[in-house]
Amino acid sequence: MTKSEKFQLVENYIVENQHAHYRLAFSYVKNKESALDIIQDSIMKALRSIDSLEQTEYLKTWFYRILINTSIDFIHKNKRMTVVEDEVLDFHLPSHEMDVPDIDLYEAIDHLAPKQKTLIILRFFEDMKIEDIATTLGVNQNTIKTRLYTALRKLRTNMEEKVKV
Amino acid sequence: MSKLNESKKQYNDIEIPTELKQVVSKSIQTVKREQSRKKSSFKKVGFGFVAAAAIFVASVNMNPTLAQSMSTVPILGSIVQVVSIQEITVEEDTYNADLKVPNVTGLTNKELENSLNEKYIAENKALYEGFQKEMEALKEVGGGHHGVVSTYEVVTDTDEILSISRYEVNIVGSSSTIMRTDTIDKKNEVLITLPSLFKDNGYIETISTYIKGEMTKEMAADEMNIYWIASEEEIGLESIRPDQTFSITADHKLTISFDKYEVAPGYMGVVTFEIPTDVIKEELISDYYIK
Repeated sequence: MTKSEKFQLVENYIVENQHAHYRLAFSYVKNKESALDIIQDSIMKALRSIDSLEQTEYLKTWFYRILINTSIDFIHKNKRMTVVEDEVLDFHLPSHEMDVPDIDLYEAIDHLAPKQKTLIILRFFEDMKIEDIATTLGVNQNTIKTRLYTALRKLRTNMEEKVKV
Repeated sequence: MSKLNESKKQYNDIEIPTELKQVVSKSIQTVKREQSRKKSSFKKVGFGFVAAAAIFVASVNMNPTLAQSMSTVPILGSIVQVVSIQEITVEEDTYNADLKVPNVTGLTNKELENSLNEKYIAENKALYEGFQKEMEALKEVGGGHHGVVSTYEVVTDTDEILSISRYEVNIVGSSSTIMRTDTIDKKNEVLITLPSLFKDNGYIETISTYIKGEMTKEMAADEMNIYWIASEEEIGLESIRPDQTFSITADHKLTISFDKYEVAPGYMGVVTFEIPTDVIKEELISDYYIK
C-alpha cells in the first residue's frame, strides 16, 4: 500500500466515523466547542503521524488512541474536570444497602476518572472488544479486565455478574 | 443491564452539531495542503519506543490564496504578519511536549525577518532538546512527569506595530511560565527594544518605582494579591531589567511583564503592568511609539 493509499484509507475512516468520534470526545468535555477542537486536533495529529500506523487493521484502535489521548490532554490542560475523591464519589453514588432505582448511570459515568470513563465508553457504548481496548490503550488484556471491573465496581451497579466482559 | 442500555442510549443520543462535517473536512484539507507543500522538508523524529510518533511539522495556518490576493490589494498595504507555525509534538504517557513556533513573514527587511524567525526556531529547539534530556533523565530514575508547552500570541497588530509574545510553560509537578515579547515597527521595519525608547537609563528607575508603587497599592486593595518587593528583610523586585519583557498596546501604551514566579507567587501567573505615559513622558525619546 502506498502512502497516499494509506492516507485515503485513513481519511475515509475519519469521515465515515465522525459521529462516533464526536460522541466520544463530547463525553469527556461535555461541550460542543471543546469537542470540535478535540476532533480537529485528533484528525490533524493522526494524518500527520500516519507513518506510526504500521498495520492498517489497527486503524480503529490507532485512531481511538489518538482521540482518547487528545481528549484527556485537553481535560488536563483546561482543568474543566475536577478530580473527585473516592469519599465524595461514594457519597454521590448509591450504596449497596439503599438500592436507589433511578440513579442516572450516565451521569455517574461522568464522575469517573477519565481513564475509567474511557474503559466504560469503549467497552459498553462503543462495543469494543477487550482485545481492541487493550491495543488502543497499550495495556495488556488482563489489566484492562481488572480495571474494567474496578470501574464497574465503582459505579456500584450489579453488572459485574450480569455482563460477561 | 437495562441501566446500561439506557446510558448507552443517552450516549448515542449525543447531538451531532452541524459544524462537525466542516471541522472534519477542514482538518483533513489542512494536513493535505501542508503535506503537498512540505513533502521535502517533512522530517520525522522517532524514538523506537514512542507511543505516538514525534513529528516536526511545518504548517502554514493561512490560506495561501488569500495571502496572495491580499498582497496584491494595495489598500491593505503592509502584509507583515505572523502567518505560519511550526509544530512539534511529543506524546508519551507522562511526557509531553507541544511546541508552536511563530513565523513572521512579509517584511521587506529580510535580515530582521530571518533573525526573528531563526530566534523563534532556536528557542523552541532548545526547549525541545531540554525536554528530551529531561525525559531521558527521568526515565533512568524510573519515570516521572514532564511537559513543555510553547505557544505564541500576537498581542498588538496595528498599522505601525506588531507585537508577538511567546510563552514557554514547563510542567514538572507545578508549572513555570516564561514570556518573551518582540515588538516590531512595521513601517520602518525595525525591532524595538526597551532601551531604544528612552533617552537614557533613567527609565529603569522610573518604571521600577512606579511598578513597586502599583504592587503595594494592589496588595493593600486585595489580600489575594501578593507581590514580592525587595526590602531590607525580603527578597523581591529591586528594579526591572534593562531588557525587561515589554510590549506596546494598540493605543500606544507601554506594558511591562514579569514571568511567573519572577515577582509574585505562582498563582499570580505572568504579571503585566501598563505604565501610564505620564509617568515616563520625561524619559521617552519621542511620542512616536508611546503616546
